[in-house]
Amino acid sequence: MDIVPQLIANSLIAGSIYAILTLGFNLTYSTAKFIDIGFGVETAIGGYSVFYLCKTLGLPLYFGIFLGLFCSGLVSFLAYRFIYKPLRARKASGTVLLIASLGVLTALQALVAILFTSQFQTLSGLIQANRVFELLGGTFTAVQLSIFCTVLILSVLLAFLLKGTLFGKAITAISDDEEVAKIVGINTERVMGEVFFISGMIGGLAGILIGFDTGIEPIMGLSWLLAAVVAAIVGGIGNLYGGLVGAYLLAFAENFGIWKISGEWKMAIAFGLLIIFLVWRPRGLFPR
Amino acid sequence: MTSTILQTKHLFKHFDGVKAVDHLSVSFEKGKITSIIGPNGSGKSTLINLLTGLVPLDAGEVIIAHSLHFTRVKSHEVAGFGLTRTFQDVRLFEQLSVLDNILVVLTERGVFASLFETHGTLHLAQAEEVLKKMGLWEKRHSLAINLSYGQRKLLEIARVLAMTRSARTGRAADIIFFDEPFAGLFPEMRKVVVSVMKELRAEGRTQILVEHNMELIRELSDEVVVLDAGELLAQGVPNEVLAKREVIEAYLGE
Ligand SMILES: Nc1ncnc2c1ncn2[C@@H]1O[C@H](COP(=O)(O)OP(=O)(O)OP(=O)(O)O)[C@@H](O)[C@H]1O
Ligand SMILES: [Mg+2]
Repeated sequence: MDIVPQLIANSLIAGSIYAILTLGFNLTYSTAKFIDIGFGVETAIGGYSVFYLCKTLGLPLYFGIFLGLFCSGLVSFLAYRFIYKPLRARKASGTVLLIASLGVLTALQALVAILFTSQFQTLSGLIQANRVFELLGGTFTAVQLSIFCTVLILSVLLAFLLKGTLFGKAITAISDDEEVAKIVGINTERVMGEVFFISGMIGGLAGILIGFDTGIEPIMGLSWLLAAVVAAIVGGIGNLYGGLVGAYLLAFAENFGIWKISGEWKMAIAFGLLIIFLVWRPRGLFPR
Repeated sequence: MTSTILQTKHLFKHFDGVKAVDHLSVSFEKGKITSIIGPNGSGKSTLINLLTGLVPLDAGEVIIAHSLHFTRVKSHEVAGFGLTRTFQDVRLFEQLSVLDNILVVLTERGVFASLFETHGTLHLAQAEEVLKKMGLWEKRHSLAINLSYGQRKLLEIARVLAMTRSARTGRAADIIFFDEPFAGLFPEMRKVVVSVMKELRAEGRTQILVEHNMELIRELSDEVVVLDAGELLAQGVPNEVLAKREVIEAYLGE
């Protein structure tokens, strides 16, 4: 059997998860201008919310997903409201905010572990049959196909929100010049709170999809976050659509890389790519 | 009859050792154009930055309309007090179109409201009016980042005008700071800005102008404030102030 089509399939699936995460990460980065490591934990919040609501309480799946997205959005909003916002008001540097967000990740993933144990869980039992498709020699599951579709839908939705609405214009204004946005009376704090909410929902969405595809554990956040950061830097940090390219590039590099060398090197490939970009093209493929 | 609308008391700001604004007590009259002049580095821009909350003040007080006393000016609140400004180095929303640079000031919304609402015809009409006035209507679809230097300056002034038309922040702008709005403009463009400032005065708005060009100062100012090394050197009507020996010396001494 030819392995290349399957490698392409795997790259597209992994790239799609990365893409969702990178969109969420870049959204807050481009407005609040710091690397929000806490974003990673929203994957676990979303995943475990659905796990608890649907598996433990037995609520209907769609309701569980809806509430799961709300929870991850809310957690992200609260982290902004009670941690990042006061720090930013005191003109804390990006480094201080990054460390604070690392604290958010660590504390919340510990909380998830206390509530749900650190055991690996899967959401796949919640859907009756995960059909397997074959396409051009590669195989996909229905879940994986929906992950791919999610990227398309999410990109279109975000493009509409950012380019087509009054809210999106306020986001762009803040990302261009937050100080001036304040002086002309744009309610920057409310807009930013909403951005954190949306980005948290996107992180939660990724976590839920990961839960259906493979599985979730409390400490999942950091490794997914790192992948999103690498993809964002490769694509041009803060540039939403550059991030999509970065995400798929990273996934292809990883999956084709481990074709010839052992799978344990996956992380090394990601960081190799990061180093190459940081040294030769630090502003990424599509600098903002 | 005159009335003070904006006042500072012993305003003080230093940047590692440099006293940029040094115990400055100065007041601005309602409805007038007050020019602030002084040699380079005398603290003119810093004064505006302090009054609009862009840099925190070290000591002293800002008083708006006799009744509001501040020892801390917050930049996100100044629009609500009717203050607005331009910047010596133009600051626009670079990734927005010319039109959106104006509309965002008139109609910023939260995420839910914005799903059900677009720019009302009122806002579009206001934006059209101010952009036409500044000669930028033809350019409305260009991104701000692609404008020429002069167009950028004019767009910033259009944004100020938009703020005088909109009470979205609770109050339409009626105290306006212009930090060297004429610098680098062609004569035709200068004329546009001069007429805009005269119109704003006719509307009864207070304007504070930082400018180096004596001809423009004489043409526009009702009052002149002279700063030197962050201190008030003189204040009064243009003819008297500009004839004072210490003012001439401060300028020639550069
Ligand atoms: N953000 C800052 N950091 C450090 N020093 C500053 C800062 N802003 C102003 N200064 C210093 O404060 C002093 C006053 O500067 P300011 O820009 O207010 O002068 P100005 O009167 O506007 O001059 P110009 O006519 O050149 O615009 C200068 O010595 C300047 O170097
Ligand atoms: Mg200046």
